[in-house]
Amino acid sequence: MKQTFTQAMAWLHTWAGLIIGWLLFAVFLTGTLAVFDAEIDHWMQPEIHSTPVSQLDAAQRALSYLGDHHADAKSWGISLPTERSPGLTVSTGDRRSGTRVELDPASGAVIQPRETAGGSFFFRFHFTLNLPRTFGVWLVGGLALVMLATLVSGIIIHKKFFKEFFTFRPGKGQRSWLDFHNASAVLMLPFHFMIAYTGLVIFLLMYMPAAVDSLFKGDTQAYAKAAGNARQETPRGDGGRGQPALPANLTDLAPVFAEAEQRMGPLAGLTVLNPGTSAMRLQVRPVLGNRIELSKGLNMEFDGVSGKLLKDVTPSRASLLTQKVMAGLHFAQFGGYPLRWLYFVCGLLSCAMIASGLVLFCVKRRRKLADKPVHVQRWHRVAEVLNITSIAGLSIACVGLLWANRLLPVALEQRAGHETTLFFVLWTTSLVHASLLPTLQAWRQQLASAAVLCLLLPVLGLFGPGHDLQRLYLELAAVGIGLLLLVAIRRIDRKVAQAGSAAVNAKVLGAKS
Amino acid sequence: MIAGWIASGLLLAYGAMVALCLGLDRHYRQVWGIAATLGRYRLLRGVGWLGLSVSLLCMVAAWGWAMGPVAWIGALSVAGLVLTLALPWWPRMAVASAIGGPLLSSAVALAWVLG
Repeated sequence: MKQTFTQAMAWLHTWAGLIIGWLLFAVFLTGTLAVFDAEIDHWMQPEIHSTPVSQLDAAQRALSYLGDHHADAKSWGISLPTERSPGLTVSTGDRRSGTRVELDPASGAVIQPRETAGGSFFFRFHFTLNLPRTFGVWLVGGLALVMLATLVSGIIIHKKFFKEFFTFRPGKGQRSWLDFHNASAVLMLPFHFMIAYTGLVIFLLMYMPAAVDSLFKGDTQAYAKAAGNARQETPRGDGGRGQPALPANLTDLAPVFAEAEQRMGPLAGLTVLNPGTSAMRLQVRPVLGNRIELSKGLNMEFDGVSGKLLKDVTPSRASLLTQKVMAGLHFAQFGGYPLRWLYFVCGLLSCAMIASGLVLFCVKRRRKLADKPVHVQRWHRVAEVLNITSIAGLSIACVGLLWANRLLPVALEQRAGHETTLFFVLWTTSLVHASLLPTLQAWRQQLASAAVLCLLLPVLGLFGPGHDLQRLYLELAAVGIGLLLLVAIRRIDRKVAQAGSAAVNAKVLGAKS
Repeated sequence: MIAGWIASGLLLAYGAMVALCLGLDRHYRQVWGIAATLGRYRLLRGVGWLGLSVSLLCMVAAWGWAMGPVAWIGALSVAGLVLTLALPWWPRMAVASAIGGPLLSSAVALAWVLG
């Protein structure tokens, strides 16, 4: 009975792992890159310079620009320069109909950064796979669910788990792949569970709308209001007491910023409602991640004329806090750069875990393949090709997006769209290439292309505008990944050499007998 | 100071993983070529768990009780995997590097007490 249970689990683990592995790798790789989405955004807009300037000075420059150009707008939005994104953006109206302008935080002059898909592309791809949003979110949610099942079944079939906790035997083919797959899965188990589970919780309401449907009769606005994140109503420009709004000057921002910073931590931006009138309101928002709870939508509101505090931050209710903390754990917005790097490294190791599982599937079957019927051999070939495309091909496409960002003409129409198209062209090319060449050769050439693109990224950066430390760090990280890819290529070379000498030996032996 | 706590937490997690690893017969033989007594295995495991606890305290000192444990779990995973990958190539060196954690964390703790 026990034997059959383990066998059933092994079967589930193998086939579920293979089917979701291809897409799951894409989810994990783009998710890992999305840890640094703002940094990638910044790298992809080299026209924006990072300058040491206080948020207060930057806000003053933004306000004077808005006062000169959009004095009659109903609301002004200002995104202040922060540690992660050094740009200064001003906007009017809402996200769809309003205008957005990028300013130089040091001088207040208008700059025109290139249109780009940016690091946000990786972020969106991570949870939608670039499919229509609802469908994509459901698909990725399904992947996360099956991933949890493969983790559990993986633990069950890996019985010697504790005895061989630190075991890795390199250079032994299938054995090494299995060791690495086990070690990376077992040691990273808390991270895998956390990331898959919290990922599901983020879209809780979409996956399980029953509770909200029955409690609020499907009225999502009523739910949002009860949950405390209802959209705030703009006060009408009549001073609130039926009197017409009078022209008025904005209060001194320094004490407002100081109070908000003391209460909420580093700030990310502010909104001015009814600017230039006596009904003026100031909403100040913090950067995400002064606490684990994902603080999106959190802000403090001040009277724009007197600077008096009108609305303080309200602590979340327990159920909502749980959901927000879980989302926060997933988004890694807390804990600053050390934690961001930790998530990045853990994410890369998760990618390696998935990739080693996929490779293991094929390595295990390669040796006995010659005796198998033709249709089995064909399906095996399909798995090999999809492995190459989903692992090496996606890596090429991801770093290729950065190359597309610098190589496409700056003034191109629909530039962001063309960048994304190039991403998919590269990915498709990888599929074609992998299906035309022998397996190991295709692996080798594609990994080598990804490595070269990573290693030469600093050179590409050098020829463009906008050099600063943040961009240099990104390029150095790319070089690091390129070096890791070179290690992988060396292992393939050794494998090819071994296979070559084995074939020669077999021939010699055959000739002798 | 925070960087010191983070580095100590990471290195201690690594050191603790080395102790736990040597507390397993299979890995003790892998490094030293001979088996040890049951008493020594128990001692090594005890030291390992102690190291993990102190590592958690370092992470909490750096990030607080809300975020510290999350960072700690990440540190454990990375430390364990680094050890696993280093062990087959440089077994003795991997074990010897474990000394860095206690040294650095003592220095940071001393600086914290004095400063």
